[in-house]
Amino acid sequence: MIDPMTVLAILAMAAVTYLTRIGGYVVLRNRTLSPRATAVMEAAPGCVLISVIAPDFVSRNPADLAALAVTVLAATRLSMLPTVVIGIASAGVLRLVIG
Amino acid sequence: MSVSEIALAEGPTANRRGAEFRRGLAASTPMLLGIIPYALVLGAQAAQRGLSVVEVPLMTGLNFAGGSEFAAIQLWSSPPHILLIAAITLLVNSRHFLMGAALAPFINHLPKRQVFPALFLMCDESWAVGLADARHRAATGMRPAFSLAYYLGAALPIYLAWVAFTTCGAALGPVLGDVGKYGFAMAFPAVFLVLLRGMWKGFAAARPWLVSLVVAALTYLVVPGAWYVAAGALSGLVAAWFLAGET
Repeated sequence: MIDPMTVLAILAMAAVTYLTRIGGYVVLRNRTLSPRATAVMEAAPGCVLISVIAPDFVSRNPADLAALAVTVLAATRLSMLPTVVIGIASAGVLRLVIG
Repeated sequence: MSVSEIALAEGPTANRRGAEFRRGLAASTPMLLGIIPYALVLGAQAAQRGLSVVEVPLMTGLNFAGGSEFAAIQLWSSPPHILLIAAITLLVNSRHFLMGAALAPFINHLPKRQVFPALFLMCDESWAVGLADARHRAATGMRPAFSLAYYLGAALPIYLAWVAFTTCGAALGPVLGDVGKYGFAMAFPAVFLVLLRGMWKGFAAARPWLVSLVVAALTYLVVPGAWYVAAGALSGLVAAWFLAGET
């Protein structure tokens, strides 16, 4: 049920992940940033978000690319829940239709 | 001060916290649609790799970072290569440094005993809605801009759903088959796109995002593994640095 090496690996993952979570806060908490550094920090969240979903923009599945286009359009006009529902529905339907 | 006076003094604050927590719960609902299918898939894959129904919630409950867990499961062997798994976890989760740094000015006023547990619950989704909400409140002049109750209301359902449904996935794995084929994968980009729209400050400010998108996409196509997140994010930051020097 519980293997010691597995538990050790999991604890290593958990420790590394928690350090990444507190790292940015601990290091930058009491710093006054230059305007340039502030510009970088302001761009950072969007850069991370778009990087995480970048693979969806180069999907080899035409149905998923079309669904992504529909979702981008929805996201520019609608709030969170309708956009998510439209995204899931368009991906499901387009996969059935286009394959 | 009598007990009733204390209750009167604390009443509105407690009510406000409750309302903020519920506002966070509401914000988490659409994201759960995307997270639950992923959690089932991860649990099923972990079970295939030999992790037990006890070990899966141990991993997802202590680590609580889906991307790194998918990556670790792909690399899992018996016995697991601990250094390799820790390094991959660091690579996939390095974006947390940037996320925590972006959040830092908004949570600086909170005591550390609240910040350190709250940061444990910082995932892509809870961070993004927490930060978006703080920026929105700051723009409308509300102080403090960051609402801890809202953030926890958004983060806790995500955490509980992640641990519960990865465990279900591990238990039910063989029955489920391929959950990814029903279109639920689009929930994740949909959430992120709406959040990006909320951060939009005109095309000029969004140029680093475009750099990130192009570099991350190309890296994803060319380099195997999770390097594309680090490559895309860092190149966007470099672009932001140079573009900031223009004015």
